[in-house]
Amino acid sequence: MEFAVIILPLLGALLCLLTRNRRLLHVVNGFVAGLFLLASLYMTFRIIDTGTLTSPVLASLFYLDPLSVITLDTIAIVNFMVSLYSVGYLEEELKHHIITGGMIRIFYVLTSTFVFTMVLVVTTQNLGVMWVAIEATTLASVFLVGFYNNKHAVEAAWKYVMICSVGIAFALLGIILLYFSSLQVLPGPESNLNWNFLLENARQMQGSMLKLAFIFVLVGFGTKVGLVPLHTWLPDAHSQAPSPISALLSGVLLNSAMYGIIRVLAIVNKNLGGSLYTGRLLMGIGLLSIGAAALFIYSQKDYKRLLAYSSIEHMGIIAFGLGLFTPAAVFGAVFHMVNHAFTKSMLFLASGNVYLKYQSREIAGIKGVLKILPTSGTAFLLGLFAIAGLPPFSIFASELSIMAAAFEARHPFAGGFFIILIALVFATMAPALLQIFFGDAPQGSIRPGELNFTGTAVIVILLVMISVSGLYMPVEIKTLFESAGAIIRGGE
Amino acid sequence: MNHYLELLSILILLSSFILAAAKRIISYIWIFRLQSFLLVIMAGYLGAVNFRKEGDIDILIICMVILVVKVIYIPRLLENTFAKVAYKVEKDFFLNIPISVLICCGLVMLSYFSIFPIDDLREGVMKTYLVNSISVILIGLFFMISRKKAIGQIIGFLVIENGLFIAALLSAHSMPILVDLGIFVDVLAGVMIMGVLVFRINENFESININKLRNLRG
Repeated sequence: MEFAVIILPLLGALLCLLTRNRRLLHVVNGFVAGLFLLASLYMTFRIIDTGTLTSPVLASLFYLDPLSVITLDTIAIVNFMVSLYSVGYLEEELKHHIITGGMIRIFYVLTSTFVFTMVLVVTTQNLGVMWVAIEATTLASVFLVGFYNNKHAVEAAWKYVMICSVGIAFALLGIILLYFSSLQVLPGPESNLNWNFLLENARQMQGSMLKLAFIFVLVGFGTKVGLVPLHTWLPDAHSQAPSPISALLSGVLLNSAMYGIIRVLAIVNKNLGGSLYTGRLLMGIGLLSIGAAALFIYSQKDYKRLLAYSSIEHMGIIAFGLGLFTPAAVFGAVFHMVNHAFTKSMLFLASGNVYLKYQSREIAGIKGVLKILPTSGTAFLLGLFAIAGLPPFSIFASELSIMAAAFEARHPFAGGFFIILIALVFATMAPALLQIFFGDAPQGSIRPGELNFTGTAVIVILLVMISVSGLYMPVEIKTLFESAGAIIRGGE
Repeated sequence: MNHYLELLSILILLSSFILAAAKRIISYIWIFRLQSFLLVIMAGYLGAVNFRKEGDIDILIICMVILVVKVIYIPRLLENTFAKVAYKVEKDFFLNIPISVLICCGLVMLSYFSIFPIDDLREGVMKTYLVNSISVILIGLFFMISRKKAIGQIIGFLVIENGLFIAALLSAHSMPILVDLGIFVDVLAGVMIMGVLVFRINENFESININKLRNLRG
């Protein structure tokens, strides 16, 4: 039963590979995604009961704790929403002869494989296997980024695979150094990169090696997270991929890479006995990402690229929260990972509806979205307010918690700077994107009305989720987030 | 035993210098094959020593996998890819050879000065190993950014992987075998995917020159 969460996405990929009928393909993919969601919710309930979970078989590999189950649930929910959305999206593109029927099968097979690799990242406790899985997420999604196989898509795919593979190679060097350092003090077969073992014995390892290892891991996984200045692949990949894939990339792929940084961060901070060293690095790189994203958003002409830069901004916010490393800040960072995943995937799905209608990604060519697409247009607009951090949406709650933590931890300058940069992002995003919503639609072939009904329903559900979770959180879930924070802080 | 390992790690470093000085794509592939073969010898030697001491065959298995994947299969794959996309022999570098070699020397010095101050490395020879392997990684990275052709970049990526592998082999006697095999699967799948992308770049841009990939900016 424990392995259902791992096996189901793989099973989905196999079934889609064997299915020839197009309608059946949609059903199979949606059904398996639903089962996967149920399985991971079941795991969540078990974790709420027991705290952590290992399996009698493969005990050194399989491991779930509140942190991994939160990330797992995010993957499962976003994946389910995206599979429902994809049905309408792909059918519409098929109608316009942008893709062929065979490509739909490839799309589903690759998406399920992609989800499988991400699940592997969060369900293993072996840092080496985790690295292998994070590299595999890149490989599984390359052809999804280059799905349309035109000049721009191929360029984005090449940049994506080259930059991410090389970046992640540095993370492997970091993990090798970590392993080496653990072998120096704890020789023996049991120290085979098990996260729990390393965390338990963190205080005995060599600080200087761990510092070096952390830099390499931050650079390596940071490339995959899209932290500035290692972000260059991200806007290209997010803008060229089909919209459902952009939602998966931005919503959950970035989180899985961030999860890798968090696991190593916990060990290094416990060893160093404080967060001064890692905190400076993470807060610096976080503020840099937010600031650079603000500038890029200001000059953006393509709305999907704009959303991609906003993802960089939010990853910067999470890094900043992790850098502060107080209980409130870590809570805020983990909560922000989830909030960003839902909000941003909703925005990418809504932008997919806009793209289907207008067949253009240029901000300048689009007017009157609210008239043409009443439901998804309104959701898109509200989603922009949510992503900019306005109440009552959930991103406001997590950003506020990180801000308050910054001042509480006596970082008034960093905290002040953080607030200024967030405001700057809001100020640059509003004028850049608000113009597409108002005005009259261009005359001609574009008729008012929604195209993708299930897709629009999914967008509305996500919107409800981010509005409700900003105002109210059940106590069990709050405890789950708090225990995830405690795990990151080394079990304190 | 350390003398042989030191010699091999220096030879591997030397082979990456030769790579930085190579001009044609076919010669890159040959030098990569040679470098991987040196890696096979190193893994075989360490594996034999480990087998005699502790009776564990993990490193020997890894050695066989490198032989098949990195010495035989991947170079053949790259040669075939190149044969299908090559129209004419073009110059493939931005910087001339002497300058590239000088930059590589600079990279070795850089890694020397960043590794040697670490106090926790008590064994002196470990520092040499780490300097050599990190230099190989940096030279691979430099090679990637100094070549214009897609295949040159793939070779650079593979050299980085080789450097990582030496680092793991010499510092920690290789990673746990499951992780090592996973890394090989990733590298193999990665190179295959990059090979397919090279074809697609060639179809869309009528060349495998990476300089032409600059439509997406800002």
